Amino acid sequence: MKIRLVISGRSYDAAENLPDELSLPDGCSLDEALQAVAQLMAEGRPLPESCLLAVSGTHLGTLGQHREHALADGDELVFISPVAGG
Amino acid sequence: MSLPELSPKELTRYARQLGPGVLTLEGQSRLKDSTALVTRVGGMGGPAALALVMGGVGRVIIAHGGDLISPDLNRQVLGCEAVLDQPRAPHFADYLRSMNHFVEVEAIDHEPDDDEALDLARRCDVVLSCPPGFEERLRLNRAAVLAGVPLIDAAQWGMSGTLIAIDPGRTACLRCVYPHDPEFEELFPVVGAISAAVGALAALEAIKILSQTGKPMFGRLWMIDGHQGRTSMVELTRDPNCPCCGSPPPAT
Repeated sequence: MKIRLVISGRSYDAAENLPDELSLPDGCSLDEALQAVAQLMAEGRPLPESCLLAVSGTHLGTLGQHREHALADGDELVFISPVAGG
Repeated sequence: MSLPELSPKELTRYARQLGPGVLTLEGQSRLKDSTALVTRVGGMGGPAALALVMGGVGRVIIAHGGDLISPDLNRQVLGCEAVLDQPRAPHFADYLRSMNHFVEVEAIDHEPDDDEALDLARRCDVVLSCPPGFEERLRLNRAAVLAGVPLIDAAQWGMSGTLIAIDPGRTACLRCVYPHDPEFEELFPVVGAISAAVGALAALEAIKILSQTGKPMFGRLWMIDGHQGRTSMVELTRDPNCPCCGSPPPAT
């Protein structure tokens, strides 16, 4: 199956080296997908644990603390690295 | 309780925002009868406060400490070069008052602590949280939850921003979204255009809530990624065990 990747927020630059779409085995779990994404990240530049995770618009928690979720073909995996500034 | 009437001069002032697609007369009267807190009033809070004042929110309370410095002027629209090195709050308030004499503007020259934030939230019908760091944002979140007042959390970094609309007791609060305080960069990068955009959208949400018009984005996080030219809308999940808004009610 294929899922779309969206990385926004403070880690926007991480998205520059990641594909817009990721091929994964059917029935892949969220954690398995996160491991696949982590392997594609530039060394020494992981996404922060506080990164908000959502799948197809549904909030699942943060990278460090989230619900498990079964992915489906066409899902959009969104990483929003917290922004702060005033 | 009856809503305040709008004078002929007020009707003239708000003529472009009355009618189909904008506000009803009752909605405009609701704005006049409302109180909003905006803190701080820098990059996002400034445009937000300005939009609320120009839109006719009856009382706008602003809070911001310190003096205006040159780097502020890439985004702090309430300032100007003539007031560099002078206290922000009184000058920002004067500018807001010059934009709409039908609105009352109250200025606080410091960022509220826990107790003051709660007192202020209890006086208001909506809180717009526009400070730079998570400590203040979470303080305002706690105050809004305890006071039972809607909160719009606005944030920015670089060319991106987020908006979260919180209806305490019903939707996720900021602590549900950030169970642990995220990292904060004191000298955060920011382009003024995103500050203005996020601040204006925060005000729009507040105006919708106060006037009871349209559909407020309660329970959602809106990521406006100006760097990549995309947006994402996330339906937030409330944490039943949230130390701020979860049950049983948090200790005061």
